Order: sequence, then C-alpha cells, then structure tokens
Amino acid sequence: MAEISIDVQNLSKLYHLGTFGTGSFRQDLQHWWVTNVLKKESPFFQAHRAKQDDVNTLWALHDVSFEVKSGEVLGIIGENGSGKSTLLKIISRITRPTQGVVRGNGKVSSLLEVGTGFNNELTGRENIYLSGYILGMSRDEIRRKFDEIVEFSGVERFIDTPVKRYSSGMYVRLAFAVAAHLEPDILIVDEVLAVGDTDFQKKCMGKMHEISQTDGRTILFVSHSMQAVNSLCDNVLWLQKGRIQQWGDASEVVNKYVSSIQKHCLKQEWKKMEEAPGNESIKVKSVELIPHLDDTFDVIDIRTPLTVRFQLWNLEQNSNISTRMLLFSYSGECIFTVLSSSVMCYRPGIIEGECLIPGNLLNDGSYFISFNFLKNTAIHLLDFNECLSFDMEDYRGDLKWYGKWWGAVRPKLQFSLQQKEREPFWLSSIS
Amino acid sequence: MAERKHWEWEINNSSSYWGASLAELWAYRHLLASLVRKNFLVNYQQTILGPAWMFLQPILTLATYTLIFGRLVGLSTGTLPPVLFYFSGIILWNFFNECFGGTANTFRENAQVFSKVYFPRIITPLSIFCTQFIRLFIQLFLLFLLYCYYILFRDFIPRLDTWFFVFPVALLAVGSIGMGLGLTLSVITAKYRDLSGFVQLGIRLLMFGTPVIYPLTYLAPDMRWIIQLNPLTSLFELFRFSLYGEGVVIFPFLAYSLFFAALLLAIGLLLFNKKGDSIIDIV
Repeated sequence: MAEISIDVQNLSKLYHLGTFGTGSFRQDLQHWWVTNVLKKESPFFQAHRAKQDDVNTLWALHDVSFEVKSGEVLGIIGENGSGKSTLLKIISRITRPTQGVVRGNGKVSSLLEVGTGFNNELTGRENIYLSGYILGMSRDEIRRKFDEIVEFSGVERFIDTPVKRYSSGMYVRLAFAVAAHLEPDILIVDEVLAVGDTDFQKKCMGKMHEISQTDGRTILFVSHSMQAVNSLCDNVLWLQKGRIQQWGDASEVVNKYVSSIQKHCLKQEWKKMEEAPGNESIKVKSVELIPHLDDTFDVIDIRTPLTVRFQLWNLEQNSNISTRMLLFSYSGECIFTVLSSSVMCYRPGIIEGECLIPGNLLNDGSYFISFNFLKNTAIHLLDFNECLSFDMEDYRGDLKWYGKWWGAVRPKLQFSLQQKEREPFWLSSIS
Repeated sequence: MAERKHWEWEINNSSSYWGASLAELWAYRHLLASLVRKNFLVNYQQTILGPAWMFLQPILTLATYTLIFGRLVGLSTGTLPPVLFYFSGIILWNFFNECFGGTANTFRENAQVFSKVYFPRIITPLSIFCTQFIRLFIQLFLLFLLYCYYILFRDFIPRLDTWFFVFPVALLAVGSIGMGLGLTLSVITAKYRDLSGFVQLGIRLLMFGTPVIYPLTYLAPDMRWIIQLNPLTSLFELFRFSLYGEGVVIFPFLAYSLFFAALLLAIGLLLFNKKGDSIIDIV
C-alpha cells in the first residue's frame, strides 16, 4: 500500500465577516482589556462558543478529514464558496486553520494563480528567476531548466523585454512555463488551466498528465472542468458548504456532483390556475425538460437527447395558438428558435406541447429556454422567459484534446477521411 | 497499512513568535537576493539617469537644505562645514525613513503575493532593509568624496581617532529602530489603515526632533534632554562624532538608544512572526 503523503484531520476554518472599522477597534481594545488585564474570558469569545453559527462568522471549512496517498491525483470539486480554495490555502501554508491539523511528507509547491510574484517592470528573464524563487525553486534548479522554460513558453524573442509589453497571452504562457517546471513532491493547483488560448491549454493539460503519470507526484487539483477532473484524477473530494459531501473514485463522485447541480432547474409546475404565471388569455401549467438518460444518476452530456414538454391553460375561445421555443446560451446568445405547428382551440382547455432536441447537437455549456406563446402565429399572448435551464457536460470519449470546443453548436455530421491510393513515386520525389 | 508516525511538516492553528527557522531562511536566500535586485531595478526602470538618482536625490536635498536652513534661516552647524554636516544627516535620515516606510506597509503592499504563495514572510521586509543598506553604502561613498574634497581644498581638519570605527554601530542601530518600528506598524496598519496617515505626519515631525539639520549643541544645555529622549538623537550625534569628531555623545543616553533599538527590533520581529500568518485573513 502506498505511503500517505498528506493527512488532513478535522480541519476547520472560521472567517469573520463584515467590515473592520471603528467598531472593530473598540471591540479589540475591550477584548484585550478583558482577557489580558482582567484575566477573564472574553465576552465575545463566550458568545462564539454559545452560538457558533453567528451571522458574522462563517465556517469556510468544517471538520474536514481525508488523506492523500503518495503519487495520487486528488481532484477537489464543489460549487463556488464551498471551501475548495480555503482548503488549498491551508495546505499551502498561506493561512492557518482555526482547528484541526494537516501533516505531510515532502516539499509542497502551490500554484493558486498564474504569475505569482511577477513584476511588470522586469524583463522575462528576471521574472523567471523571481517567480521561480517565490514558488520555492532553488537557483540551480532554475538555471538548469531555464532554456526549457523559455522554450515551453515560446517567448524566446522577448525574453529581455519587460513583461508589461507582453500580450496577455505571452504573459500567461511565460508564467505557466515557470510553474510547470516546478518539481515538488506535492503540487497544489487551483484552476490555472482556465487561462490562455486553446493551444496553450492543451499544452498545460499535457504537462499535467506528464507530471502526474510519468513522475508519480502527488497532486491536489481544483477545477470546475469536470472533463479535466475526470481525465486527470484518481480520487475526487466533493465539498459542499465547507463539509465533505463525498470522497472517493473520480468518475463516481463527478457523476453524483453533476447530477446534483442539474436537478434543480429541469421542471416547473403549478397545480392551481390562480397561482400560475400568465394573463387572462393563457396560463402556464408546467414546463419540463426530460433528458433521455440510461439511469437517473447519469449526467446530461452532449450526446443526451432532451425532450421539452409543457402544458398550458387556454382561457380564450376560438384561438389559433402556436408556440415559439428559444434556446439561449448562458451568455445570452440565441442558439436557435423553433416554431411549433398551430392548434385551433374553439373553447378553453389544456394544451400540451413537446419538442425533442436530439443528442449530438449542442456544444457543452449552460443553456436556458424561453417560450413565446402566439396567437395567429403573430400576436404575442405571453412571453415566458428563462423558465428552464440546464448544463450540458462535455464528452470527448477517447479524444486526447481538452480545450474548449469552438462553435455555438456541435452537431455530429457525417465526416470521414479515407486514404486513397499512394501517390506515384515520381510525384513525391519532385517535392 | 504503513502508518507513519513521523511527519516532515505539520500545519495547525498555533503560530510561533520565532517564525521560520534559520535553515528555512537560508533555503530562501536566493529569493532575498532576487528581491533586493528587483527593488533596485524597479526603482530606476525607465529613468534616463538610472542609478545616478541614488546620488542625485541626496545631492538635491543637500542643496535645498544648505540654501534654506543654512543661508536663509541661518541655522548654525557648529564648526563643521554645512555641506558635510547636512549630508551626513540627510543620508542617515533617509536610511531610517526608507527602512521604516518600506517595511511599514509590508502586508498591504504584498497582500496579492502573500495570499497566493507561501514563503517566510520576513524575507520581504528583510529585502527592504538590505536594499536600503546597500543604498546607504553607496551614498557613504559620496560622503567620502565630499570629505576628501573638504580636507584637500578647503583646509578642513577633522579630529579623527579610533572612534571612527564606531560609525557602523550607529548605522545598524538606526536601521534597527526603523525596521523595528516598521514591522510593528505593518502588523497594526494591516487592520487599522488610518493609522498610517498619522504615522507619516509623525515621522515628518520626528525629523525636526532629531538633530538632522541642526547639531545638538545648537540647543541650550538644559533643554537638550528633551531631544535626547528621542533614541535617534544620540545615534545621529554618534555618527557625526565618529566621522568628524564633533557631536554630543553621552554614555547613558547612548546606552538608552542602543537598548531601545534592540528592544524595538525584537518586538517588531516577534510580533511580525506571530501575527504574520493570521493577518492575511484580514488585510
């Protein structure tokens, strides 16, 4: 059994919220007076004990225990504010825990940001050294790897130019190049792959693979990209509100996590007509997005076909009703609009509609759906906006490329390559 | 399972007054050197005169002081030529001022780096101290040139003796006071920023409470003790006494100054080490 590289026990971190102002100075003085001069226990401290979930405090981490084996790649996932960054900061010795202990063996280097310690006024060369030292490299190490770093970054021509004149891409590449050549026993990485162009991201992921697999180093890796976590990590730690939600095999935890954040926004339903959104002509009874999954814990990915189903109360007589469905990306760009067939309703009643979005059509990302309910295909009876939303996860199969897939849609089209007969030898010899 | 009882490192909620071990500081010596280098390079980046500013800045101050305090106000500088008198005061005061001002904002200015990567925090103020010390030595060389000029061409005869070799003591003690105050303040201003406004004003006033532009002998003998309560006073006088043979050096006051310097540095270092870890949460 592999040795344990990091051992985390009952780790908790309490943050005080709110601003520090005149009040805090008075409180501090009072606290100091009571504890140090009168030798009593501080009233504030007692208050904390009595009411640990005080409005002004926040447990960013609460009783977190886990261990990482030597050579293991541990992914840490969770929503924003779940304590991922706090955990990394404690393990990399930037801040201290309120309670609990972290113990470990080996040299730790942390990459919580690209370009830590870079100074804009200095040249690329100076910055490689400065940043390298700050990240904990030795002089020999940097000297030995200097050429390699420069080559990896691809900024050879500008190495003696101040980095403030670099394009942002060059800056990031140089910064990451330094970081990528760290050789710690334990590497702590926070979402640094979300920078730079696709080509460079590919390079970074490749480097991460290389570090984790060939060199056998322990890595803690925080990311929002489930694709990256899935392909890199052995185990995954899922944090929620500062506590461990699940810790275990990567694909299992990732699937649970993704399906848990997707569940919320797939269905809206109103039982009573009076409470339903709408107006005197039309009211919405339900809207629902049904993914065609193999089992309920599975994840919506780009292959998944989706059915959109909705029900309306039509309150008018002799109304020719049709529906327009619009699909927007999360940035608000309209991906497509579809118009339903129209239905002639002679008297009030329930109308049901259904639309199938096939799999292998949308790109990965977050989407929302809006409806326009129309009369005579032109008059807007009701606009029902942003009522459904869903995330489409990436799926690459065996593809060895992890960059963002370009394009608004990602249809699977018939696209094939064939090798024709070999060129005649006299043609190839000319070139 | 191979349960190991021994761990190479441990992180818990108690911070120590002693901070990083010497071995760890030694491991980061190249970072220190690199930061000192950065401090110099960044200061003179994109200036036409470059490092010449290191000479130009005190020379311009010297010209101003000689003109205003020497000619217009007519402050006496004792038997010393005003140029030599002011220059020694200016470079020593600058050294104190920069040591203090440079370290007093350690946490605020480096919050970005401190919140992203670990290294012994004391390296940062230490790099400021080293930078200023090197700068002081370069300026001392300029003082030496002026000194020679006055001896050769102005018939200035200094009373030099073995006291000359004491002047580094004055420099170190002044630096210690500057850095000790700066470190203490960096911890306090990280939380209470309005303090730095008062402190800047205080430092400016302190200059007039220190014999920078006037000799202590300028004051009536029974009034001197007020100024001598300022621990910097005896050190400035010691500096001039060792260099030029003129100055008021009284042993009880000198001992008081040296003790004060050691105490301030100790308080500053201990406080900085103790509070350095938790301050990053509130800065």
